[in-house]
Amino acid sequence: MSSGADPADAVADEDDDPADATVSTGAVPPDAAVNGGDVPTGGPTGAAANDGEDPAGSLRAAARELVDIAILIQDAAAHTTAALTDTALLRALPHASATGRPAYRALLRAATNRHGLGYALTGTHTPTGPTPATLTTAATTPVALTGSTSSAVFGVLATLAGKVGAMLGGESLAVRVLATSLRLRVAAVAVDHPELSEDPLVVRLIEAAAADRDLEAVRALRALLKDRGAVRALSLLAPVFGEVLALRALLDENPLNDATAWLIATGRGFATADPFTGMSNRAVALLDLGEGGARRVEPTPAESARLSTRGSLLGVLGNIGTIGTTGRALIQSVEGPDGVIRHILQAPGMRVGHPDGRSPQDLLGAFSSAVLDSSPYSRALAQAVADYGLPPDAELALVGHSAGGAAIMNLAQDPGFCARHRVTHAIAVGAPVDFKRPADPRTWVASVTNQHDLIPTLDGQGAGSCFDLHPGWYVVDYTDSTHLFPLCHGIEHYLANLADDLPEARAHIDERLKPFHGPVVRSQAYLLFDRPPDPEEFPFLTVPTRPVETAGATADLPIRCRDGSALTAYFAARPGVAARLLKGSGLAPLLVAGRALVGVHAAWNRRSSAGGHRELQIGIVVSGPGRRSAWSGRRGLFRRAELRRSGDFLLGSAVDTPMARELGPRLWGGETYLTALDVRVGVRRGAGPGVRSALVVADGIFTMEGRLGPGLPMSDPGSVGYAGDAGALLRSSVRARGSARLHPAPPMRLSVEPRSPHPLARRLRELGVDGARPLLCLSAATRQSIRDAAVPVPPA
Amino acid sequence: MPDGQSTIAAHAEVLRRDAQALTACTERLRAIEAALEAAGAAPPWLRAAVHAHCAACVTAAADLRTAVRHLLEYAEQAGR
Repeated sequence: MSSGADPADAVADEDDDPADATVSTGAVPPDAAVNGGDVPTGGPTGAAANDGEDPAGSLRAAARELVDIAILIQDAAAHTTAALTDTALLRALPHASATGRPAYRALLRAATNRHGLGYALTGTHTPTGPTPATLTTAATTPVALTGSTSSAVFGVLATLAGKVGAMLGGESLAVRVLATSLRLRVAAVAVDHPELSEDPLVVRLIEAAAADRDLEAVRALRALLKDRGAVRALSLLAPVFGEVLALRALLDENPLNDATAWLIATGRGFATADPFTGMSNRAVALLDLGEGGARRVEPTPAESARLSTRGSLLGVLGNIGTIGTTGRALIQSVEGPDGVIRHILQAPGMRVGHPDGRSPQDLLGAFSSAVLDSSPYSRALAQAVADYGLPPDAELALVGHSAGGAAIMNLAQDPGFCARHRVTHAIAVGAPVDFKRPADPRTWVASVTNQHDLIPTLDGQGAGSCFDLHPGWYVVDYTDSTHLFPLCHGIEHYLANLADDLPEARAHIDERLKPFHGPVVRSQAYLLFDRPPDPEEFPFLTVPTRPVETAGATADLPIRCRDGSALTAYFAARPGVAARLLKGSGLAPLLVAGRALVGVHAAWNRRSSAGGHRELQIGIVVSGPGRRSAWSGRRGLFRRAELRRSGDFLLGSAVDTPMARELGPRLWGGETYLTALDVRVGVRRGAGPGVRSALVVADGIFTMEGRLGPGLPMSDPGSVGYAGDAGALLRSSVRARGSARLHPAPPMRLSVEPRSPHPLARRLRELGVDGARPLLCLSAATRQSIRDAAVPVPPA
Repeated sequence: MPDGQSTIAAHAEVLRRDAQALTACTERLRAIEAALEAAGAAPPWLRAAVHAHCAACVTAAADLRTAVRHLLEYAEQAGR
């Protein structure tokens, strides 16, 4: 950086720094590279760094030369096919058949002689992407000279013939030369990874793949998996994963994966299809739809406490680890050493689990971010940046791990985004970004990859690459002693490697990030979406509200719960006691086989307009005001709350926050106790899929715990309660939205706290519920709910 | 058929250059092997592979030269 230069320009100016010239070719910390072995090393990825200087460099240079030769041979094959399929030649045949027939025979022999070009028929028109034939120079291709529709048709037929030939095992000389190139790449990697040439099972697999012995390759892979386990086998193969896949794809009989194999082997583009099946990656990626959306969220207090307060490489990677793969991203503003405020976008990797159609950080999102130039993930990040509000010309550094690395590179290569924001740095960690290119040539790009990490090789280029795909980048491609995938892919592992094992690489990147070294002055997390989400409360919770005063604060009624869970358990109870407790209410207990029913309702309102709180109500099930038959009362128990007459006559309630306690008499009537509550409804960890369990603990009152067993799915009907109030009868209800399950005779039990003097504990003992198992439970693991004030029931 | 004649001749010219390039490939392949042998980096299987590729290149070049000869005769007759 020249003195007196605008500090904001520092990054761009440093592009001419001669110190970077060494690393830009892909060489990594020079000392580490010399060490080799298990010491964290910078295994060379760019052949130019080591050509002719060491065995690995010589092997890579030779592999690259063989690629050139293979392409040249493939050109000759394409030219021969083009001559064979040119209709101009065919039209001349009736006029010169004496010399035309030998010419055709000679062309056909040249294109099919297994001792020469091999089975080399190849067309020039393919719908699936570049093929070897398209590598030819159009200007010198006779097809271009004639260019007739008929020739094109014949070209397609030749492509078809070529694929049929591949299916029948016909190989071309070009493919054999390319396979030799790939084997040299494997040999080059083995120089830095001796386990590849020393492990007999790995050697057996590579040899079988290179020799086109399908059965033997499958047996070798099975033996490797059985002997080493999937994790170790994948980790062992990771440095040469792309090469082994390309070898198999080149030499197998499946013609659909040939284009991908050529792309991997020639380094000319992203692997466009699954190398096993040939299924188009882009077709899969196109399943990931959405314009992207981002909503501001607050990290938890524990997360906030762990976020770095200063800009630095390790601080940023630590932040990515802190917010985790939770569908979120982080933007921070830092005050640089020169007093300029700069910004850092931090994007984590894929969240674990099935594609959910909601978050762009799912499996599909990771795939589309890697394969496509723009994806819902990158568009969601762009939305977050737009919402964050960067001043014009503000400097922005992009840092991403795994799928986040691919997504931030998509932003960096988006000319529109780079026109709106000045992207000074793009740092991808453990990400498949070899074929991404920043739109702004001033953007400084760094890629950090562990050679045993499979994810960065998903674009087909890994440790064995013999091409210098991005001469302007700073590439750290290293290996460490862990060797285990997916462990080595974790952000924590990369963080530890950069902190402890790659001090020079870390120092170099940090040096480039120097303008961002300074205190964090603003931090904002975003929850990312495939599509902009509906407003959170729309439509169910979008209702008129009114303020009510409480001692502590103002609350709005009705109480709207955006996210909660609930459990209602029905127990058989002593009818005489129930009748006595209902005396004077005008209500009668709903009897089942001569027994009264007691309902225990517990809910955890995790995010509600009255703050997160838990609540508990205990009541006797009644058929409701007016004369109703017992049958209609029982049947009405699960009608929607707003239409339901039957409900629970409240014996008592408890909540765990002062505000909820103060609101209780308004909401459901009667006295409400304040006590510690624990309410959990959901899938128990380690239990089978769909096996729900529940736990309700009311401190000093009772514990109800156990499996809920199988349940009948239904819409959450909500709940209805009645309470006596100075001679009047109040009715309250909870309207709910979400799915629930009805569990008959669940294997759980309610245990009243022994010798507890609490009034609710006494009531439960009195009704004979202590130690009882419920007859029926209604569970809702996730729901929204609305609870308004109780209203007097009009007199009959 | 003057158009056909020129097209056929153009194909012959392209294939003639390809035959020359394939002949040159044998030298390039041998140079690769020699360089790796000299660097002590040649895998044990490389010699056989390179020899096989060289032999195939020689055959392919001969096939193409034959095709070129026939194409030129074809072009000449088509132009009469």
